[in-house]
Amino acid sequence: MFSSPHNTRNVKLPYSLLLIGRERGRYLPAILAVAFCAQLNILQWGVLLGTLSVLSMPIDRSGADVWIASRDVLSLELGHPIPEEWEARVASQPEVARTETYLFSFGYWHKPTGGSEVCEVIGTQLGEQALGALSDLTPQMRTRLTEPGAVVVDASELERLGIHGVGDTAEVYGHRVVVVGLLHGFKSVGGPYVVCSLRTARMILPLFQEKPHDTMYLLARCRDAAAAQQLIEHLRQYPDLSAFTRDEFSLRTRLYWLTQTNAGIGMGFTAALALLVGLVVTSQTLYAATAASLREYAVLRALGIARWRMGAMVLAQSFWVGLFGIAVAMPVIFSLGAAANFSGARVLLPAWLFAGGNALTMAMALVSGLAALRSLRLVEPITLLR
Amino acid sequence: MSSAKPTLEARCLFRSFGAGDTKTTVLHDVSLDLYGGEVSLMMGPSGSGKSTLLALLSGLLRPDSGEVIALGQRLGQMSENEQRRFRLRHCGFIFQGFNLFPSLTPREQLEMVLRWGEGTSQREAERRVEAALKQLGLGHRGDLTADQLSGGEKQRVAIARALLKEPTFCFADEPTSSLDWTNGEQVVQLLRAAARERGATIFIVGHDSRIMPYADRVYYLEDGRLSRKTEPEA
Repeated sequence: MFSSPHNTRNVKLPYSLLLIGRERGRYLPAILAVAFCAQLNILQWGVLLGTLSVLSMPIDRSGADVWIASRDVLSLELGHPIPEEWEARVASQPEVARTETYLFSFGYWHKPTGGSEVCEVIGTQLGEQALGALSDLTPQMRTRLTEPGAVVVDASELERLGIHGVGDTAEVYGHRVVVVGLLHGFKSVGGPYVVCSLRTARMILPLFQEKPHDTMYLLARCRDAAAAQQLIEHLRQYPDLSAFTRDEFSLRTRLYWLTQTNAGIGMGFTAALALLVGLVVTSQTLYAATAASLREYAVLRALGIARWRMGAMVLAQSFWVGLFGIAVAMPVIFSLGAAANFSGARVLLPAWLFAGGNALTMAMALVSGLAALRSLRLVEPITLLR
Repeated sequence: MSSAKPTLEARCLFRSFGAGDTKTTVLHDVSLDLYGGEVSLMMGPSGSGKSTLLALLSGLLRPDSGEVIALGQRLGQMSENEQRRFRLRHCGFIFQGFNLFPSLTPREQLEMVLRWGEGTSQREAERRVEAALKQLGLGHRGDLTADQLSGGEKQRVAIARALLKEPTFCFADEPTSSLDWTNGEQVVQLLRAAARERGATIFIVGHDSRIMPYADRVYYLEDGRLSRKTEPEA
């Protein structure tokens, strides 16, 4: 399209696009820098989102509309026990259709092969209508989990837990547990999740042996899911508890890890670094491209053409460079994301991440164009007279 | 051949560069008149101030003292933007070297001048560019990129760029310096035709004496001073 001039007679492309197309070698570094920036940003945020989604998986895969916890709870893993009798407070609210208790605590998994591993024990009701039970649990698993000491774990955690599969046994705080099923895609970032019944959880967790009438969370389902916010409003009359919709608590858990751990800060830093690298390379390339045509621009200035026309062309070039860079990056991001998910890493690439990442990358390209405008200050017709 | 009233008058122009001990006066008390329909040639050795004089006459540079009156307007009293608009409306330039975007075609380079300068519509720009290319014998070369053209062809495109908007003035700085005389003569003839056919005021700076027969007036500049001039007989 660009290299065959005869074709361009009928298809009038903007000069900015013509120059990029016909001087590809000159603009390629900028396009690749933009592509690199878009890839790094979107992929690493995809990795972060994937990691964070693991942290809130027990919440996301529950059937509860509202999670009730101790006051000011920061994340799923940082709850404090609350009296089980508070369930009556919740159940008495007009919006509530069903409530239940939910246990969550760290535990020590003693491997049959020796050594131990920190695990995260989840104790829930198991019935078909149970709110806390993971949606992944099969009816067969639910039935088998009713046996005292029965647990299910994620298949990818077997080696970490020192076991080989269903039927193997281990100990949690000295209590014998037996693996009755394997989950898939429930791998934890911290200790492996160990899912069991409320009864088994109370049996193996010392915290709830000491406080047999306490629970970690209360879960509620509303008659109408849209009434969840209303229920939360009503529960505000109890200052010693906090209540969140499922989505709010999920986000709260993820945000806590994002903001309070070095992982989030590190990721933000790397993203900023990628933007900076993209900015510098793109801006320098556009600057150099404009500087290489200073004499041609100077003739146009002498002929009375306004400087803003040339500035608009540099900005248009930065737009095209941004667009081509994003176009180059997209298939790479999809491929790498798919490869990462295939290899067991969790990478989430929602549409809004693409929209946000690409908008940020395009903004970076346009800022590069603005920075490159300084080269136009050098355009002076008088320099053409020797 | 010349109209009675000059289209451009330069009066007592002084121009220096630098300051203090390094201050160098390049032009001393230069006065001259240029007329529509004529080719004026400014000859002189390198460093004599020819190009500086061209810059002053065309409004690319302001004099330290003296004034330039073009079409009855004092260039020195105009703001930078007013000078730019004056150049847009009335001035064409040919500089040394061709100064063409190497990857754009002659057609695109010329359309750019019309579209960006005068805001001409695409269709109108195409029509005028086509006519200009044909007139310069470049009709069949209009779709090659500039780096595919010969030196003579490039210079003809540069001339087309200068004359496309049919300016009142055309300032040419050494327009034949990078050409053999066959191409150089063609360039000078084109400029002379613009003067004769459209009444344009052509001002050429150069030291190629072969241009002299095509000029109506020849000025000599030495050490920043006009030393002599040859004018048409009344």
